[in-house]
Amino acid sequence: MFKKTSIAAVIAATTSMALVLGGCAAPGADKTAAPAKPDYGKMSPQALAEHLVFESGSYDLQQPTQEGTTGRHRLVQDETMKICSEAAMKGGQIDAKTSERINKLAAATVKYPEGGIKLGDWKKGRDLAWSGFGFRTAHNPDDHGKGAPGANCYNCHQLATDRTGGSLGPSLTGYGKLRGNSPEMLKYTYDVIYNPHVYFACANMPRLGANGVLTQQQIADVMAYLFDPASPVNK
Amino acid sequence: MIKKALCALPIVLAMTAGAVASANQAPEDILDALAAKTKSPYLTQSPQNRMMMPDNPSYDVAEDGGKLFKQKRGPKNASLEQCDFGKGPGVLKGAYVELPRYFADAGKVMDLESRLVHCMKTLQGFTSDDPQIKRRHGSDTDIMKLMTYVAIQSNGMAWNPSMKHPQEKAMRDAGEVLFYRRSGSMDFNCATCHTNDAGARIRASVLPTIKSKEEWTKAVSWPAHRVGHEHTRSSQHRVLECLWQMRYPNIKPDSDVNIALISYWTDVARGQPAILPDLKR
Ligand code: HEC
Ligand code: HEC
Repeated sequence: MFKKTSIAAVIAATTSMALVLGGCAAPGADKTAAPAKPDYGKMSPQALAEHLVFESGSYDLQQPTQEGTTGRHRLVQDETMKICSEAAMKGGQIDAKTSERINKLAAATVKYPEGGIKLGDWKKGRDLAWSGFGFRTAHNPDDHGKGAPGANCYNCHQLATDRTGGSLGPSLTGYGKLRGNSPEMLKYTYDVIYNPHVYFACANMPRLGANGVLTQQQIADVMAYLFDPASPVNK
Repeated sequence: MIKKALCALPIVLAMTAGAVASANQAPEDILDALAAKTKSPYLTQSPQNRMMMPDNPSYDVAEDGGKLFKQKRGPKNASLEQCDFGKGPGVLKGAYVELPRYFADAGKVMDLESRLVHCMKTLQGFTSDDPQIKRRHGSDTDIMKLMTYVAIQSNGMAWNPSMKHPQEKAMRDAGEVLFYRRSGSMDFNCATCHTNDAGARIRASVLPTIKSKEEWTKAVSWPAHRVGHEHTRSSQHRVLECLWQMRYPNIKPDSDVNIALISYWTDVARGQPAILPDLKR
């Protein structure tokens, strides 16, 4: 009798712990059978949000991604994402120390081409800058077999003036003409495309190199589009 | 048809609902008033769409929905007239602007779409595998027709989602966290595109910002006819589209992430008049 109840108590205790910790559970935890639904009204907003993402059956966590992982990986946050999400919710302000931390994490991700930073083919860069194709999944996954993923620059930036660009980021029209192509300028630009958090902590620009969206060659092509005097960006 | 009938309703509505003055205005007049007040680039981005609003194809979708609503259907051969959208069985006026809310009979917070599905299951006996429930997203689906019919009976009324039950507040607050939660190949959260100063664009599309309540009420006014899709679309469909751009995995209909996001976005529009049906790009 005693034994039975104590086992029951342990089970109850572990279940309630699992519920409390549900939000912080490590990726992979959904392999076990779904536990009883916790009382949403008693959870912190953060714990409930994590529960909803990973434990509520809302997302197709098994969906294959173009990079060969699963939907779950698209939802797991690294340290930068976590810090920047919290900061965004508080209005976007981050203190100097946090900002430095983000810059440092970002700098560690940047990998440079073996022969140094060189400019590629601006025409290829133009197509990449324009294209918003790639890595989209949800109800209509992009088939990378049908075309290379794009760089999305025009979604957020004005570049050449022959096409309408977005305005989430600053205008880059005349980029190379205005800034020149010194080694420092090339490095700065490579870094920003690879991981903008090197200079702009919690930037709204994606980490296109660090996240594996663009290859080093593609970055070289996009950079040619920004710097080449023959590129429409500099006309 | 339904449009005329609705135009006659408002006098009663304005009195009973204690709603905003816009309860007796057509959707296009509500939009005009918001635009005049703010000069917002988002609200004024498409004069062509504004012109189409009096002949919004969503009115036909709603009319079909009204017929379906009253028709006895399903294994239980029942209509939806006893469905409780939160203000009592059969009460549709003003019900939508108070959703999402907690429903004791389901033990959870539900938005319009999930509540409708709940009623189709419990009252009519349909199951998740029946096409009546399974087929979502499109003017030709039962769900879209029924949702549009129910929703437009809250046109012009102020968004006022219930926050009395602890779960309602919890879902709203979790929705806020989700709105700011960055992840995926592009590091996006909803805030990347929807917390900028008014007028920010993705390419040529002007983005609505949660910083402007006037913009946000139009943003969350679904069902809306999507001109680019030639279909009437729902809130959950908009969530799906934005998640696709964000490179997130697929989301299941009526799931709690949907409902949390919709709880938050409706709360942000609180007090502003709903534009129903709306017409969007
Ligand atoms: C989702 C929007 C978004 C996308 C996509 C994007 N950017 Fe950005 N970009 C920004 C934002 C926002 C900033 C400003 C960062 C800050 O100040 O925090 C920025 C900054 C920059 C800067 C630094 C500007 C300066 O004045 O020094 C460069 C260069 C740049 N982006 C290039 C690119 C290129 C090239 C691409 C495509 C490969 C691209 N961006 C894609 C949003 C974006
Ligand atoms: C990469 C940018 C981007 C992100 C991130 C994004 N959206 Fe959107 N969203 C858009 C665009 C573009 C539109 C269409 C605006 C238009 O047509 O004028 C839109 C439209 C909307 C609308 C309806 C307004 C309309 O006119 O169609 C709502 C509501 C909305 N988004 C909510 C969200 C939510 C919630 C999230 C996070 C889950 C999110 N968005 C993430 C770009 C984005």
